[in-house]
Amino acid sequence: MHQILTIAWREITRLRSRFGGASPLAVILMLAVLGLAAFALRNGAALGNGLYRVGVSGDVPTIADSRFAVVKVDPSQGQALLDQHAIDVFVDGSQVYSRTDQKSQYALTALMQTLEKQELLRVGSSYTYNLAFPLRVGINYLSSTPAAPGVAATPAAPVQTIIPSLTPPPAPFAQVIIALLYILPITFTSIFFTSSFMDEKINRRLVILLSAPVTPFQIILGKMLPYVLFALATTALIALLTHAPVLLALAIYAPTTLFIFAIYLMVPLFYRSFKDTTFIAMLVTTLTTAYLVFPAMFTNISEFAYLSPLTLAVKMVRAEPFSWRQYLLPSLPMAAIFGLAMFAGTRMLNEEFLMGYRPLTRKLTDAIYLMLKRARPVVSVTLMSLGMIPVVYLVQLVFLAIATNLSVGAMLGSTLVAAAFVEEIAKSLGIAVLADHGLVHSTGQLLLLAFLSALGFLVGEKLLLLVSINGVSQASISSVLFSTGGFLLVPLIAHFIFTSVVLLLHTKARFRYILALAIGTLLHALYNWYLVGGLR
Amino acid sequence: MSAFLAVMKKELNSVLRDRTMVIAIIIQLFIASFSSALLLGLLALYDPDTVMQYSGSSVHVGLVSPAGDPLQSYLSARGIPTTRFSSLDSAERAYYNGRLNAILMVPQTAGGLVDIQLYLADSDFAPIIRTVLQTPLKQYENYLRAQRGVVVRYTGLQGKPATAFEFIYSVLLPILMFFPAFVAGSMVIDSLTEEVENNTLQTLLSAPLSINGIVNAKICAAVLLALVQCSAWLGLLWLNRISVQNSAWVLGLGILVAGITATGAALVAVLFRDRERAQFVYSLALLAAVAITTLLGLSPVQTLSRLAIGDYYTTGWNVALVAAFLAVLWLSLSSLAHRLAT
Repeated sequence: MHQILTIAWREITRLRSRFGGASPLAVILMLAVLGLAAFALRNGAALGNGLYRVGVSGDVPTIADSRFAVVKVDPSQGQALLDQHAIDVFVDGSQVYSRTDQKSQYALTALMQTLEKQELLRVGSSYTYNLAFPLRVGINYLSSTPAAPGVAATPAAPVQTIIPSLTPPPAPFAQVIIALLYILPITFTSIFFTSSFMDEKINRRLVILLSAPVTPFQIILGKMLPYVLFALATTALIALLTHAPVLLALAIYAPTTLFIFAIYLMVPLFYRSFKDTTFIAMLVTTLTTAYLVFPAMFTNISEFAYLSPLTLAVKMVRAEPFSWRQYLLPSLPMAAIFGLAMFAGTRMLNEEFLMGYRPLTRKLTDAIYLMLKRARPVVSVTLMSLGMIPVVYLVQLVFLAIATNLSVGAMLGSTLVAAAFVEEIAKSLGIAVLADHGLVHSTGQLLLLAFLSALGFLVGEKLLLLVSINGVSQASISSVLFSTGGFLLVPLIAHFIFTSVVLLLHTKARFRYILALAIGTLLHALYNWYLVGGLR
Repeated sequence: MSAFLAVMKKELNSVLRDRTMVIAIIIQLFIASFSSALLLGLLALYDPDTVMQYSGSSVHVGLVSPAGDPLQSYLSARGIPTTRFSSLDSAERAYYNGRLNAILMVPQTAGGLVDIQLYLADSDFAPIIRTVLQTPLKQYENYLRAQRGVVVRYTGLQGKPATAFEFIYSVLLPILMFFPAFVAGSMVIDSLTEEVENNTLQTLLSAPLSINGIVNAKICAAVLLALVQCSAWLGLLWLNRISVQNSAWVLGLGILVAGITATGAALVAVLFRDRERAQFVYSLALLAAVAITTLLGLSPVQTLSRLAIGDYYTTGWNVALVAAFLAVLWLSLSSLAHRLAT
């Protein structure tokens, strides 16, 4: 612990010298700019910002909607301006004029949405509550099977009662933006961390540090500590400023912070030049943002939303409760990936790996070899396929997000193939690397490892399902991805066969790994297809 | 001039060789494909009608209501097929026979609060059904208000669902046109600071080329790449039948903004000389620029959206303003660039 703190302190000193005496100034500057940006974009981040122009005359409620530029016009000119396409809609008192072209019709829809809100405010404030809102709608869920004759089928009381005009649209667009606001400083800080790591890697200070009596684990944790603490502090600060519960915000964002740092730890370990780092960091930012935002857009629409921690944040902003399982579903994989990355990082942090010039695929296999070689293959392979589960899970999710662009048939097909592909890599790559390094020889040993890898994978998969089974009861897609069909034994044998095929083809028949993988993937995809009912 | 071109060529070659550009293009492809996935989600949330038409399915509602109640006509007007039932029991029988997706029960009341009950399955489809029913229910609420003497204005308006339009022109198009600019800036910083930190700038200066020439060549290379990307995106949008008005000005604005980020990035690189600080200050400056232009109502994002939809008041002059800013930035860079060599 003492060593970690020493390294953390050294990191702070380094930063301070880097930024001259200006480091407090830099922090203040950064916070000021972030605050300014948040202030400027708080309304401007809406969909359709500034797209429409509306002309008003007479007694019209104020149109406070960033989608509209409002012009006061003379009643006599309104129609002419409308015909000229200078304005898209013209509101004269309680009368609204529009054209028949698309743009004017879109503007009309937007105008309707904003005027409706204004009218509700007016009605709500000038009449008694029950007169202004005379309708209640009780929501009742029917059981999936009809009740026996003589038994009351309908639930006694509605699960929820709503007033239609006061029910916000379920779309959480604005709340997702707020939730994303927290991510911004986290990514920012983690880029700093990457920069520092990269810098010390290039000027070889890291190598010198490695010869000191500290472990790689202490080095990584120590270097990361100041940045993580800063990121968490900004999270708390944003929560304070937006009047959100600070502890809840920290609980929601801590796993996400660790996840982002885990990924940014990998970038400088694998790459060498500045340009590479910049671009890979961009790619990583895009992918993680997409991964975080996409499911969250479906908050309150589908349980699938709980795959992203932003959903929890959206719930927090909307002051709606969520359960423990719903908290664990996105948080556990993120924390697990952090653990995996820390482990990988400690194994990869040696001079030879850091300084070697090698193609990326070669570096990847080297990294896996370094992770696996110290323990007995029997143990390490099982643990590795178990540990890869969250990674597989996240990659598959990104695939799914991209696949939603395709037609329904193509989407299902490509998801099945991609899922099989990622799973086969996770199960077989480690063993293939060990075999290539000559640590595994006999066919029997290979089959044993394939079996253990399949077992580890299956156990992890079921653990994940156990956590999510209530959280994502209805998301049928996740059951495709995590193939729940059949007895436990059937998937175990199936997983074992596919992995064995890949490994035997690669090590015994001397196929290129990618080719062997393709064959295994094909078999696996067919099996998945069968599970979804494709061959029946 | 040939030396200038040589530096530019070296820049472009290094970008193409390192496959960094490939990554940048993958990012943009991902953003584009991802946005359309997002759009599909947004459509489902904001315009359930569109999705209903799109997927060909519809929500069939069973109605148990007093005679002469207008809810049925509101539902029919929204294209929601309805069937009337005399009692909840018979409606439930139809529901369990798979003929209905939901049941609405309207009680017989005169004045006071009206309590409608909605019965449906607790499935992924439930929120969509609720969203589809929201508008007719709101109309019914207005009907009840009118009965009670509460007047609500602007109730009869109905335009076309605008979510897709708003998303494409205010989010997707700006992202596609300005992301290349963001990349251009980062590229210039990396390229300049790498020359400084590897001490290769001195060597380069021994070529018949001034420091301004080197910096400008790097900026030009970055802007050229942005030009290629922006044009490619406009072409792809055109192929997807997404019409972009004033496309020449839109492209021009994209390139000018790339010029501004690249020049600004070079300026930052000149002032700080190491990558870590330069990238940091560059990102902050970018964020600040976005915030300030938004506050002043000069946001290039808004100008771009408005140009693309053919806004009456947005013309080439708005683009010229951006060009003027670029000129000022470039002049200040020219007077400071010599600091890089010292």
